[in-house]
Amino acid sequence: MRFYETLYIVNPNFESDKLMGCQKEIETELGKTKSKIINHRIWSKKRLAYPIDKQKYGTYILLQFEGGDLGKMVDFDTWMKLNNQVLRHMTTALNSEPEVYVEEEQKEKVKSVSEPSDDLPAGENDSESSKEEGLKEAEDEITEEIEQEDKVLEEKEEK
Amino acid sequence: MALQHRRKYCYFKENGITEIDYKDVKLLRRFINDQGKIMPRRVTGTSAKMHRKVVRAIRRARSIALIPYIDSGME
Repeated sequence: MRFYETLYIVNPNFESDKLMGCQKEIETELGKTKSKIINHRIWSKKRLAYPIDKQKYGTYILLQFEGGDLGKMVDFDTWMKLNNQVLRHMTTALNSEPEVYVEEEQKEKVKSVSEPSDDLPAGENDSESSKEEGLKEAEDEITEEIEQEDKVLEEKEEK
Repeated sequence: MALQHRRKYCYFKENGITEIDYKDVKLLRRFINDQGKIMPRRVTGTSAKMHRKVVRAIRRARSIALIPYIDSGME
């Protein structure tokens, strides 16, 4: 069986209860295709690149599943299109089995490892790979933070 | 005076990336200009194989409003 991923946008003004209700509705509808849901989570709340239905922001929800009856997937697609709660949706095939998302682990990772920022455009710095640049930048940021903290402490001592 | 030629290279080959996710907006932004157009591979230096994947990912990201179809470039 193949694995699929549906990313859909929901109105950002929905409260958590309504969001949960919307997610459950979609899960039951997807259940009709005999698909196995692997992940179904709120990806992020983002500013849309262009307004959709007069909305500037949107809540992106990611749904990953193992494909069931493909003949009924067309019905699911049309149902999603007709669903007024969903601003836009897109289903894509995945190359490999998606990992099960665990929220707590992700939070710990974010805390322990500060992600290296890598905004430089392609073509700059031929000699060094961008991964090394990212790490260096992260280190520089940390050192700057430490220096700033030291300065604040010194000022306090003087007072 | 001859201008120094900057060697072009495939970003993905250099970093060992084989698959491109359409949700990775930060990566895709490297391959579009400030107008939102996809940059040609003669400019970016990407290999033909990976450029096709980049184009597919950008088109997917556009359709789900992660990346603009047209950007004024004034922001």
